[in-house]
Amino acid sequence: MSVTISVQNVSKSFGETKAVDNVSFEAEEGRIFGLLGPNGAGKTTTIRMINYITLQDNGKIFINDLPVSPKTQKLIGYMPEERGLYKKMKVGEQLIYLAQLKGLNKTDAKEKITYWLKRFNAYDWHSKVVGELSKGMSQKIQFISTIVHNPEIYIFDEPFSGLDPINSELLKEIIIELKEEGNTILFSTHRMEQVEQMCDDICLFNNGKVVLTGNLRQIKKDYGKNTVLLEFQGDSSFLDELDDVRINNRSTNFAEIRILNGLNPQEILKKAMQNSEIHKFQLVEPSLNEIFISTVGEDNIKMQQEAKLL
Amino acid sequence: MNWRQTYLVLKREYLTRVKSKGFIWATILVPLGFAVLIGVGIFIAAWDSEIEFTIGVFDETGEVVATLQEIDEDRYVDYSDVPVDTLRAMVQREEITGYVIVNESHITENQNLELIYSGSGGLQLLTAVRSDFRESIRQERLRREDVSQDIRNIFESSVVIDSRRLSSEGEETDDDTEFLSVVGMFMGLIIFGAIFGYGGYIMRGVIEEKTNRIIEVIASSVKPIELLTGKMAGVGAIAITQFGIWILAFTGLSAIAGPLAASILGPDASTSQMSGELAQAEEQLPAILDIPTLETSLIVYFVIFFFLGYLLYSSLFAAIGSAADSETDTQQLMLPISAPIFIAYIIMFHAMQSPDSTLSVVGSLIPFFSPILMITRIAITEVPFWQTSTAILLMMLSFVGTMWLSAKIYQVGILSYGKTASFKDLAKWIKQS
Repeated sequence: MSVTISVQNVSKSFGETKAVDNVSFEAEEGRIFGLLGPNGAGKTTTIRMINYITLQDNGKIFINDLPVSPKTQKLIGYMPEERGLYKKMKVGEQLIYLAQLKGLNKTDAKEKITYWLKRFNAYDWHSKVVGELSKGMSQKIQFISTIVHNPEIYIFDEPFSGLDPINSELLKEIIIELKEEGNTILFSTHRMEQVEQMCDDICLFNNGKVVLTGNLRQIKKDYGKNTVLLEFQGDSSFLDELDDVRINNRSTNFAEIRILNGLNPQEILKKAMQNSEIHKFQLVEPSLNEIFISTVGEDNIKMQQEAKLL
Repeated sequence: MNWRQTYLVLKREYLTRVKSKGFIWATILVPLGFAVLIGVGIFIAAWDSEIEFTIGVFDETGEVVATLQEIDEDRYVDYSDVPVDTLRAMVQREEITGYVIVNESHITENQNLELIYSGSGGLQLLTAVRSDFRESIRQERLRREDVSQDIRNIFESSVVIDSRRLSSEGEETDDDTEFLSVVGMFMGLIIFGAIFGYGGYIMRGVIEEKTNRIIEVIASSVKPIELLTGKMAGVGAIAITQFGIWILAFTGLSAIAGPLAASILGPDASTSQMSGELAQAEEQLPAILDIPTLETSLIVYFVIFFFLGYLLYSSLFAAIGSAADSETDTQQLMLPISAPIFIAYIIMFHAMQSPDSTLSVVGSLIPFFSPILMITRIAITEVPFWQTSTAILLMMLSFVGTMWLSAKIYQVGILSYGKTASFKDLAKWIKQS
């Protein structure tokens, strides 16, 4: 398996703040790589450096063994978190412009754009001004602009934020399809549950540093099946009496309980049965969110969030 | 720098702008606006806007008031038989604007006259009253000395000085200083307007890319410096197009307007009784409608200073656009740019009067003032070659400086969202990149 994106000991500061601090990871060819972490952890800065938009202070970044440069930019299809289109330009003209900037000539660009517009049932919008399109429609045009030059590497920064459900599904399909064609995909998100379904490999970011990186299956396996999913009906106060557990995703009739200290899961079941009616009891690997919290430490995250509020 | 990318940006900037409604309207409306402005100016200047006022004259000699009434019957009223206290009361009641007491000593002893008035009427009133009294008192003095009509004529005669220019090559030409001053002012004004107009275009374009959130998509394909250069060149091409249209339209219109006006005015002229004047009138018509020819060198210099001025300022406008989060936030950031332009604008009116004064010369050599001041001076006076070449050289050097500075601000600015940067932030960005 060859390495497509290689980030080696990269750092970047903005004045006093260290946005990215000695970060290293590798994304392999033909796989989906997830960059995870809370807002402000340094994901976007890292992605911008991979895209040669921002330059790193220290360290090296290679794309297919080439140091990042305008040349490597053309190998990448990039959809930033802050994304948009020229509102006053026509869909067709705009897509041609963006494709030309990625190095395509006009004829090839036209051909590819026609293919994708037809594929997304959007060919009728060809001569419409982007400002006239609905939000969902312009999101589709945005996808096309990202993939039209047919690169081998795709980078999506928070791709699902702001997408309507239909386009969310569409993007997932595109990503899976691109992967099946052998392309490399890297995307970032602060919503862990999205990653679980799609990523092969992950890299957890916190405070500008990598806290965990590797194969998602392996990471989960290493954490063991020590999480209880409980569905119940009735009094939930027994949950508060449990010691040495962390309860995530608690609602009136559901709880995700992470056992921290070798407590026998059967004890939880017993207590639950005394108080309420059990509909489901399942032992699973911890969720990514739980893995993140236990790696970084609950207090750390809270402190960060409070600092941000101030 | 990849010139293909720059060219693609240039082409997009140019094509989207040249096809926009804004461009078409500006191309039509700006000359119209200019014409209206000039028209209004002429109208105001030509409008007989004399204010009406009455001055009571208490004349002990009885002679001066008669002359005053000859000058303006309505303005000066003889109140010689009214007590001064009543005159004061009349001023207070606003029945008259003011009063003046004239007695023998004013005529024989050169004593100052005194106008007691309500204070309204402003400078125009004071000037009118002063000149009328000066005239009347003088006439009265002349009358008393019993001077002959010949000498009175001498007093009323006017002396005219015509001027011709002698160049250092010994060539003597008609002097059009008045005309050239107006040309110089217009050229300065056009550059002044163009810097703000096209600079504003660039600034709004940068802000639009930021607010549309397309900038990062573009930045993943194009280097900031390529984007900046492409934008400046694209808007520069727009400027050439727009001026091209105006110049073509203007020359076309004046080519048509000359004969047209002659054919309309021609018959009117023939109705004037003296047939001898007819030929003369026809000869004069084209001369009025024709613009006196400008020297080619002046036009070349105009183009040079226009573009250097544009280049010097446009990158700064782009930098400000990149630092602002919305168009309304640009006000305070604009100050360092608009201040020098406005200072140059103010000095321009001084340079029109006195193009070779130290202030004008020094001002025209300061790169940020040169585009406006130097062209005004070149139009009016003979500017030594070393001055124009120094100004051009300094502007080129400054352009390298502003471009360097702007590129640094721009490449950080375009990717910072959420708040408008302060000058402190800008300094940080310059150090950082």
